[in-house]
Amino acid sequence: MTNLKAFYHPKDRLRLTTEDRSHLTVKPAWAAPLSRPNQFLSLMNGKGEEIVMVPGLDSLDPESRAAVEQELGRRYLTSQVERIVSAKSEYGATYWLVQTERGEREFVTQSLQENAQWLGPTHLLLIDVDGNRFEIKDIELLDVKSRAFLDTTV
Amino acid sequence: MEKSPVAREGSNTPASPETSLISLEADFLNDGRFGARRLEVTSTSVQVVEHGGVVSFQIPIAEIKTARNEPLVGGGRLEVTTSSGEILPVISYSLTVAAKFSEAARGIEQLAKSEPLMINLKEERLRCAKCNRLLPEKDGICPACVNRGRTMLRIGTFLGPYKSQAILLAVLSFLTTALNLLPPLIQGQLIDNVLVSQKNLGTLLPLILGWLVVIAASSVIQIASGRVIAQLAGSIAADLRSSVYRAIEFLQLTFFDKKQVGAIAARVTSDTDRVWGFLVEGVPYLLLNGLTLVGIMVVLLWTNWFLAICILAPVPIVIAIGAIFWKPMSQMFHRVGQKWARFHTHLNESLHGIRVVKAFANEDTEFNKFRIRNHELRDAGVSADARWNTIFGAMTFFTALGGLICWGVGGYMVYDKQLSLGEFWRINAYLALVYGPLMWFSAVNQWFSRAMAGADRIFEVIDSDTENYGDPGNAHAISGEVEFDNVRFGYDKSNPVLKGLNFTVKPGEMIGLVGKSGAGKSTTINLICRFYEPDAGTIRIDGMDYRDISLQDMRRQIGIVLQEPFLFNGTIAENIAYGKPGASFEEIAEAAKAANAHNFVLAKPDGYDSMVGERGAKLSGGERQRISIARAILHNPRILILDEATSSVDVETEKQIQEAIGRLVAGRTTFAIAHRLSTLRNASRLVVLDKGEIAEIGTHEELMEKQGVFYNLVQTQTAINEIIGIAE
Repeated sequence: MTNLKAFYHPKDRLRLTTEDRSHLTVKPAWAAPLSRPNQFLSLMNGKGEEIVMVPGLDSLDPESRAAVEQELGRRYLTSQVERIVSAKSEYGATYWLVQTERGEREFVTQSLQENAQWLGPTHLLLIDVDGNRFEIKDIELLDVKSRAFLDTTV
Repeated sequence: MEKSPVAREGSNTPASPETSLISLEADFLNDGRFGARRLEVTSTSVQVVEHGGVVSFQIPIAEIKTARNEPLVGGGRLEVTTSSGEILPVISYSLTVAAKFSEAARGIEQLAKSEPLMINLKEERLRCAKCNRLLPEKDGICPACVNRGRTMLRIGTFLGPYKSQAILLAVLSFLTTALNLLPPLIQGQLIDNVLVSQKNLGTLLPLILGWLVVIAASSVIQIASGRVIAQLAGSIAADLRSSVYRAIEFLQLTFFDKKQVGAIAARVTSDTDRVWGFLVEGVPYLLLNGLTLVGIMVVLLWTNWFLAICILAPVPIVIAIGAIFWKPMSQMFHRVGQKWARFHTHLNESLHGIRVVKAFANEDTEFNKFRIRNHELRDAGVSADARWNTIFGAMTFFTALGGLICWGVGGYMVYDKQLSLGEFWRINAYLALVYGPLMWFSAVNQWFSRAMAGADRIFEVIDSDTENYGDPGNAHAISGEVEFDNVRFGYDKSNPVLKGLNFTVKPGEMIGLVGKSGAGKSTTINLICRFYEPDAGTIRIDGMDYRDISLQDMRRQIGIVLQEPFLFNGTIAENIAYGKPGASFEEIAEAAKAANAHNFVLAKPDGYDSMVGERGAKLSGGERQRISIARAILHNPRILILDEATSSVDVETEKQIQEAIGRLVAGRTTFAIAHRLSTLRNASRLVVLDKGEIAEIGTHEELMEKQGVFYNLVQTQTAINEIIGIAE
C-alpha cells in the first residue's frame, strides 16, 4: 500500500490520497479493536464509507502512520486500566477508582454481569453507567492489590 | 424538561457580550488525559478555558456556520464549521457529559443563526450531594444515602390497614422473648432445690409441669406469630405491588421512553420482593433477637455481673468477624449466583438452538463452552464454600470460647461457693441464646439497606408525574372534527419533530398521513391520542381544545389498529371484547363478522374460546389483524387511527382485511398511516409530511396531478414494486 498517503490538511482534518483520488475528512476505525487489537484498520470517508482497509499501521509509510495514529488517538477515548486504586460493590452498584494511561478516573458500574465483559480468560472490559469503556488487557499484569479488587467484585 | 435559567436568557433579554450563556465542563484535556476544561459560550464567541483560566481556543460566533457533536468511541467532540467551510474541533469529552455537549452544539448553532437560544441544559447531579459518591443514574437515588428512617416510616404507612395485626405481632414477640428466658430459670431452680440438695422432691413435679406449660405456650405463640407475620408481610408486599403497578399505568409515556420495560417490571417484582423478604424475615429476626439479647444481658448481669462480663468478652470479636467478613462473603455467594445465571443462559441458548448446533455439526464447540461455564461454576462454588467454612469455623471458635470462660470462671465460683450450681447452669443456658443469633447480626444491616434501596425505587415510581386522568375536563360526545392549529412538538423540547402543523379534518373524513420515516407521521398520531401534548399550538376536537375534554372520556372515543396488533393472552372473544368490556356475545360475533374474522374463528376447534397465546402468537398475522379490527369495531370509536394495517399477508387475506377496514372506517374520522401508497386511494385527503412540516395536502388525484413530493414518492415506490414483482 505504498500509494496511500495520509496527512492533515487543512489543520485538524485528516486527508487520504489513494492512487486515483484524494479524500477529505478521513476517519480511521479499528475493525475489531477488542479481539484483534492493532490489526485491520479501516479508513473511511466523511460519509462513513470505507475507502480502504489496511492490515495494520505498519502498512503505512512513516508520515502517514503518524498522522493516522494521531487521529486514532483523538477518536478513541477509551482508557487502559493500569492499576485499580479501589473498587467497592455496594447496594448493587460498583464504585471504581482506577489509574489509566490518561490519569486517574472515578466511575460507577451497574449489573456487572453485563457490564464487565470477559473478552478472553484474562482480558476484561468494564463499561460504566454512561457507556464509557475501561479496558484491562491482561489482568495478570496488574499488581496483587488490583487483582484482589477484581476478585471481590467481578 | 425545564430550561436552565442561563440558557433561557438569550431569548428575550439581549445579554451583554461578556455574559456566559452556556458554560460546560469537559473531562478530557487537549493531550487526551483526564482533566477539567470549560466550554464557555457568550453571545459573541465560543471559548475553551483551561484549568488555570487560560483561553486555549476561541472563535467568534459570527464566523460559525454550524456546530455539531461528532461521536467518538467512548465520548464525543464538539466541532464547528466556519463560514469558510473549515471544520474545527473545539473540545473532547466522555460519554458522561456528551449529551450536554450535544445540546450546547445546538445552542451554538441557534446563536449563530441569530435564533432564540432554546436548549435544555438542566444541571444534572452526577454525585450524591450527601456522601459525594457517583450516582448510578444521573439525578437518581444514591443507594448508600437512602434516608432509611424516612423510607422505613413510609413503608410503615402501608401498615395502616393492618394496625391490629401489627400490634398483635409486637405483643407476641415480646411474649416469645419472655418465654424463651423462662426454661433456664426453671432448670436453675430444679438444680438448686431438688438435684443438689437431694430433697424437696415435691417441687419436682410442679416445676416440670410449669416447664411443660412454658414449652406449650411458646410453641403456640410461635405458630401464631409466624402466621401473623406471613399475613402481614404478604399483604404489605401485595399492596406495594398494586400501588407501583397502578402508578406505572398512569405514568406519562415519557417515562417509558427513557426506561426499558424490563427495568420497569423489575420495580414491580424484584424491588417489592426485597421489601417483602426483609419484612417477613428481617423484621421478626431483629425484633425477636434484639429483645432476647437485651433480656438476657439484663438477667445475666443481674445474676452475677462479674461472670457475665467475663463470658461476654468474646462477643465483640464475634460481631467484628461478622462485620468484616460478611460483605466479601455475600459477594462471593453473589458471584456463584451470577455464574449460575451464565451457565443457565448458555444451556438455554444451546438447547433452543439445537437445530443450528446440529446443522453446523458444532456439538463439540458447544460442549467446550458448556464445560468452561461448568468449571467456572464449580470453582466459584468451591471457593465460596471454602471461605464460608473458614469464617464459620473461626466464629464457632470464639463462640465456644465463651463457653470455655463460663466453665472456667463459673466453675471456680461454684467451687468457691460464690455461685450456686443452679445459677451457673442458668448462665450457661443463656449463653447459647446470646451467641447463636450474634453471628448473623452484621448481615442484617446490609439486608436492611438493600430493602430500603428497593423501597426507595418503588416510591420514586409512585411519586413520578402522572397523566392528568383525574383532570376536571368535560365529558364530550365527539362528533369527529379535528383541527391542528399551529401545533409544534418535540420529544426533546429543543429538537422539534412537528414544526407548526395546520389542518382541519371534517367529521367522517379519512386522512392518509404520508411521508418518509422520521417525517412526523407517528408523532402526529401520538398527539391525537394525547399520549403527548403539543408544546405550542392547539389541537381542537369539535372546535374545543382537547385538553378541556376529560382524558379518559376522550380516549374511550378513539380507536387504534396498529401495524403489529397487540393481543393479550386470553381467548379470541376476550380480546375482541377488550374494546367494550361487558359486550354481549352477539355483539362480539357481529364485530367479528364485520371484520371478516367470524369464519376463520369458527373453523378453530374451540371457536371464540380459542386461546390466542402470548401476544397472540398462536394466530397468523392476518388473523391477528382482523381480531384487532373487530376489537376496534366493537369499541366503536369516533376517531380512528390506522397504522398500515396490511403487510406481509397473502392476496386473499389482504382483500379481506381491506374489506374489513372499509367497514370500520365508514362514518368515522380516520387517520391512516400507510407505507404502501396504493392503500391510500380510499382516503378522502392525503397530508404529506416532510421533516415535521406539511409539504402537500389534497386528494390522491390532485396530488398526482401536481407532480410534487407525493408524486415522487409514488414513482419511487412503483419502481421498487416492479423490481420485486408485486406491482398492483
